[in-house]
Amino acid sequence: MVNKKLIRELLSESDCSHNKTKKSSCDKPKPGATSGGCAFEGAQISLFPFADVIHLVHSPATCIGASWETRQTLTSHKGENNTVMGYTTDVNTNDIIFGGDKKLEVSIDYIVEHKNPKGIFVYETCVTAMIGDDMDNVCGRMEKKHGIPIIVIHSPGFVGGKNLGSRLGGESVLHQLIGTREPQQIHPFGINLIGEYNVTGDMWQYTPLLEKIGIKVISTLAGDGRIENIQMAHTAKLNVIVCAKSLISLTRKMQEQYQIPYISISFYGKRDTSNAIRSIVNAFGDEALTARAEALIAEEEAKLEEILIPYRKILEGKKAILNTGGNKTWSIASALQDIGVDVVATSVQKATLEDKEICAQYVKILITDPGTQQAQLIDEHKIDILLAGGRSLYTAIKKKVAFVDVNQEKKVSYGAYSGLVNLAIDVANAVNNKVFKVVGNPEPWGNN
Amino acid sequence: MPLTIKYLKLLGIPNLGGIIKMEAISKKPLQLNPIKLSQPMGAMLCFLGIKNCMPLMHGAQGCASFSKVFFTRHFNDPIAVQTTAVNDITAVIDGGDYAISESIKNITQKVKPDLVGLFTTGLTETKGDDIKGASKLVEDIQQMVYVNTPDFEGSIESGFSKSIEAIIQQLVLPSTETDTNKALIIPNVNLKPIEVEKIKDTISLFGYEVFSLPDLSESLDGHLGLKQGALTSGGISVEDIKKLATSSLVFTIGKSVEKCGEKILEKNPNIKLFHFDSLGGLEQSDKFFKILCKVKNISQPHPSIVRWRKRHQDALLDTLFVIGSTSVVIALEPDQAISVANTIIEAGAHIKAIVTTHRNDLLDEIPCDNLLIGDFEDVESFLHESDLVISNFHAERLAIKHKKALLVRGYPDFESLGNQLKNDILYEGSSYLLFELANLINHHKLGVENEH
Repeated sequence: MVNKKLIRELLSESDCSHNKTKKSSCDKPKPGATSGGCAFEGAQISLFPFADVIHLVHSPATCIGASWETRQTLTSHKGENNTVMGYTTDVNTNDIIFGGDKKLEVSIDYIVEHKNPKGIFVYETCVTAMIGDDMDNVCGRMEKKHGIPIIVIHSPGFVGGKNLGSRLGGESVLHQLIGTREPQQIHPFGINLIGEYNVTGDMWQYTPLLEKIGIKVISTLAGDGRIENIQMAHTAKLNVIVCAKSLISLTRKMQEQYQIPYISISFYGKRDTSNAIRSIVNAFGDEALTARAEALIAEEEAKLEEILIPYRKILEGKKAILNTGGNKTWSIASALQDIGVDVVATSVQKATLEDKEICAQYVKILITDPGTQQAQLIDEHKIDILLAGGRSLYTAIKKKVAFVDVNQEKKVSYGAYSGLVNLAIDVANAVNNKVFKVVGNPEPWGNN
Repeated sequence: MPLTIKYLKLLGIPNLGGIIKMEAISKKPLQLNPIKLSQPMGAMLCFLGIKNCMPLMHGAQGCASFSKVFFTRHFNDPIAVQTTAVNDITAVIDGGDYAISESIKNITQKVKPDLVGLFTTGLTETKGDDIKGASKLVEDIQQMVYVNTPDFEGSIESGFSKSIEAIIQQLVLPSTETDTNKALIIPNVNLKPIEVEKIKDTISLFGYEVFSLPDLSESLDGHLGLKQGALTSGGISVEDIKKLATSSLVFTIGKSVEKCGEKILEKNPNIKLFHFDSLGGLEQSDKFFKILCKVKNISQPHPSIVRWRKRHQDALLDTLFVIGSTSVVIALEPDQAISVANTIIEAGAHIKAIVTTHRNDLLDEIPCDNLLIGDFEDVESFLHESDLVISNFHAERLAIKHKKALLVRGYPDFESLGNQLKNDILYEGSSYLLFELANLINHHKLGVENEH
């Protein structure tokens, strides 16, 4: 059953900075004026990266039919990679009338018999919540029958947006998995990476660095994740929230329940990556660890500067405007500055209060109305590059400035030190691309 | 089931090794990597082919969001859609009126659509919303079309065709007159934007002004507009839709839209209606042109058509060696599977299996070893004994794993750029398809050989 009390509580998370001034953070979506995914999508984002469990979506065709194999959440799992698979009970008219419980049950039997997974995550969606399938009951019985964890995630889309769904996913993991397995020994510098989904392998850009200085990643939620590791997450000494804020409820509850403190960091760009490593080691307060971290940072930064030299030649002094949302409003700005780009302005229209404050530390002009300001600023400051979502492409073409779509699904990682090189390559290629000079040429006919 | 098979079965005569076969349904209780796409997604695509339109999905916000991202990635273009954003409260106490009226209010505050295409999802059908009544409530401020498309039945094909039927019933004005120079095509959901345009252009060579309902060739063909609007950038206009009953000639293309023809006849019984199961390959194209020549009472069509037929004949002969030695698995929606299969069988392809999403009697007539309603797990089981798979983006991982060639067709195609401009139909497009397929097989063989 969907738990109303839990949803209310998740929507007014006390550790969210904006909730100190506002009554409810996450308003109900407005009919006819809503974009963005539903709670199921949020749960999918936060939990699908577990590659060694099967994700069974109890739903009709749209939920998973339109969304499976769409995210580049990479895994090193050697067995069958379940992050890119779409399992659905494909609920039909009969199931609506007579109930889908039975179908769910035989589907779980089928999965265990044919795939033998380490666990199954079962997702509740709008229709199956509406027809009242007792999924907790079915999955409880099946868990006993098959002897593997079968976790229900109550994530029908109508309860709210993506952010809430991620939180609901986190709750299921907290209550049904974390603390159910004990490690052989407890690592003194063990951390959990929370809200890192390893999109395009972002996580792999920095986890080797952390390991090099003696930090152990106990578990991840859920990039390159394994169910056995998340079961031992309670033995970590520190929770590290990477960029995404949605799982802050989980880390707060883990602090209350297991006394694990948490920090929130970003691995975008050189300075943020170095700061992130420092924040982690500072949390442990171990001198030798801190010394190892400083040595590593110095070494990595020097190595990076060397590689960036040719790109700096192209990018040094180039002026840019950034128009994106959330933490990207400052994380990409800082990364761009790290490769020599002069970030003249960044749009904070879709940023939280906290993000705005951070933006102000990096960039002088904060755009509040990109629709009108963007084009003006391009002229005023003789901008070279516009980094924005697809809608701004038309502005770029009209103004004949280079354009980088920062909201498009990226194919390579921009994370940490090595990812910054990828960003430099992409921006440098855009600056030099002739397309932005010719594509908007006037038609050769008519009065032109 | 075709009668022949029924009788053979009754008489206890065994199936004649693939010449006559029966369609089976995968016995799994679940779908493992589905090929099927949902009915609301088909409805959405239909409304995206109408000019200045806002498709409005009546459901929780996720349905619209998933579908929007899906089609944005497929077409590489912005996609217009809005959602009634049903939440936990309106899911229980609202019969649809509130969510729909609110949506119309909020949409019309920002933009002025010529049409809002309202379609349902599994959620709102389960609670049984009265979308007809809700549409009536707002008809004074907004022109609406409503259609019931739960995603627990049907598929993208039926969602598309049901929406066309609804548009005809609710918008097209009845008439008894026909304009001899006016023609209408009703494409099935699988026809790509450029294919719709090619059919229109071809018919216009016979002296017609041609409309398409819907018309994706003017909205999702991948063109640079002046700006990115919130509504559809092109397509058939609502004004033109209203006057469609004066068409003298209507072509429905694909089994899934056959019933749409009946609906237009209800608006004007004097229309000449012709149905084609597909326009892929020589024989189907021949039928098409034969009818056009007959209707126009001419002995020979435009020279370019005559020329393209000769080229297609040559294409068949050029590719027969390569395609004739190839065993193919097709995993597509029924109408597209039929079109592609017809085209490549003419060049000698051996069809190892067709795995599709729902029943379509025409599939029984296609010579193939296996015919199954199933998913990608089923596709994989046939791959070992074949050389090539024709399916959507999701087949890529399978093709790589089993070292098979892949021709990407159908929704979604997240990887290949310009997919909306791939023409596979009539003499010209069928030739392109044969060449693409043959070249792909040759390149693949070369790659596999070099690995050893």
